[in-house]
Amino acid sequence: MANPIDLPPASLLVYRYRYKAEYPGGGVSMTQFIFTFLNGITLAGLYFLVASGLTLIFGLMRVINLAHGAFYLLAGYVSWTIADKTDNWFYGALAGSLTLGVFGTLVYVLLLRKFQYEELRVALITLGVSLVLAQAMLAIFGGEYYQTNIPKNLSKSVPIPGFELSYPFFRIFVLILAILVAVGLWIFISKTRYGAIIRAGVDDTSMVSALGINVQAVFIWIFFLGSVLVGFAGAVGATTNSFGMGTDGDYLLFSLQVVIIGGLGSIGGVAIGSFLVGVIGQFATGYFPTYAGIITFTMLILVLAFRPQGILGRKQ
Amino acid sequence: MSRMRIVYTVVIAFALAFPYITPDPDFWVSSGGARALWLGVTALSMSFLNRNLGLMSLGQLFFSGVTGYIVAISSVYHNVKFGTSVPLGIIAGTLSGVIIGYIALKTKGVYFFMLTLAVTLGLYSFANQAQEITHGHTGINSIPSPIIFGIDFAYTKPLYYLFLAIAVILYVVCKFLESTSFGIAIKGVRDNEDRMISMGYRTMPLKMIAFVFSSFIASISGVMGVFYVTNISPDSVGLLRAIDLLVIVVVGGAPYLGGAFVGAVLIAVFEAIIQDFTQYYVAATGILFIVVLMLAPQGLMGITAQIRARRSSKANSS
Repeated sequence: MANPIDLPPASLLVYRYRYKAEYPGGGVSMTQFIFTFLNGITLAGLYFLVASGLTLIFGLMRVINLAHGAFYLLAGYVSWTIADKTDNWFYGALAGSLTLGVFGTLVYVLLLRKFQYEELRVALITLGVSLVLAQAMLAIFGGEYYQTNIPKNLSKSVPIPGFELSYPFFRIFVLILAILVAVGLWIFISKTRYGAIIRAGVDDTSMVSALGINVQAVFIWIFFLGSVLVGFAGAVGATTNSFGMGTDGDYLLFSLQVVIIGGLGSIGGVAIGSFLVGVIGQFATGYFPTYAGIITFTMLILVLAFRPQGILGRKQ
Repeated sequence: MSRMRIVYTVVIAFALAFPYITPDPDFWVSSGGARALWLGVTALSMSFLNRNLGLMSLGQLFFSGVTGYIVAISSVYHNVKFGTSVPLGIIAGTLSGVIIGYIALKTKGVYFFMLTLAVTLGLYSFANQAQEITHGHTGINSIPSPIIFGIDFAYTKPLYYLFLAIAVILYVVCKFLESTSFGIAIKGVRDNEDRMISMGYRTMPLKMIAFVFSSFIASISGVMGVFYVTNISPDSVGLLRAIDLLVIVVVGGAPYLGGAFVGAVLIAVFEAIIQDFTQYYVAATGILFIVVLMLAPQGLMGITAQIRARRSSKANSS
């Protein structure tokens, strides 16, 4: 079969940082090590943003959205378009997040809600959605690659203390964002009244309804929130990495790796999974480019051999 | 049972006569028949697992991909004869099923589905990155066709009949396995694993045998893919191909073995026809997939059973 969508090499996803010998202090190998590590943890921040929406929705509703990669890419296109038109990165990010929030909610209400308790059927339907989305995006945006400009007030470099090196601030900013989102989600779910309602609604839907709470509305809000998260991740990722056709499959793979390793449904698990996939993935790509895929893959298999539910996952 | 025999006879007779009765045979024998048989065999390995273990696996592309790459690399770059490279590839693909199965069978349901999807996407990303081995994005092209007993399988008709023979044999073997005591035990594991354990069965070996057998079928389909497409690239194990297979299994009817071939024929014909009308046939396939999942989750093979069930439930309620 002639594949209509021509996928790009996955190596495009690697942060291409040239470790130049002109950087004084530490020598080339030390410089490479530092940059690989920084690339790894900032990439982990992006992975966390991407996978948190997936795990939030699954953890609370047992719905797995395999159109997640396509959602990420759609957010990238929307935020790029708006940022380009308004010349303001934040408007782009806002538009990307909200568009995906609305779109995700529509997919849930129209296609998934009826079958919410049939996990596999829902997963299959979302794969169908990703297929339709992939082609729709290819038809609208073509096969070129895009990258959103970094907002001017954030496009600077910060010095790395102890070495005479500097690192782009925006990447650090992504990591800070990821930490903020992580803390915010944790407080929201385990410390607020809304979080309590959500957790109760998942454990015993009919009991919570009997208490006068509209569980259907709660589920819609969760799906909205999860989709906003992937929309925001798409806007951020579109700025740090170039994106285009095929990006959806790549980020679906990253998200799956992150949640499988960390444990599906756990925010802490996503944090650990992102860190492992981001940092080990970057070191593998930097030092053994040919076998990078195998190294990440072996890590996934090893984790599962000992903990099938992932590092922080609850037993099935 | 005699009704099934009539159905089988008609299907086999039609399949044998197909290259001689179809209009535009140059196109349909290859793009319709041979392609449907190849995809059908890959889908058969998924159906077998779904039917007997209740697990939906996307790892089948991993096994067919491993086999396909081994056959392609060894015969194009190392001048290994097909007589050696094909068995080697099938053994390697089946053995990789032992490793993946050992890990994946510890999970169930949607976890299993996600894990096997990640396995296949992992091979895709490896095939893209490992330029020295797989030639990256361009893949390995112009793989020669096999010549067996003086028959050149570069021609569509011999290839079609070869694929037909493989498909029939594998289908019969699947049916036979299901009728053995192993087949009955494995269905018991599917329906209630805890009960089987308390009855004294060791369920992991049973599940492993079923999984490894399905990876063996997938490996054979990997060889068929290499001979049919005559090239192999990361796209052969990409997300789109994985979804394509799912569409075939689900549209045909996941709980039925024959569903794999019904779905494959339908999708091959659907895509071949709709390509003339719209360039967005992938999206059209996706919409078809969603509609079938929402309205008839048992697929085409299950539609009559579904209607019957609905009628009887209506009769009961009124």
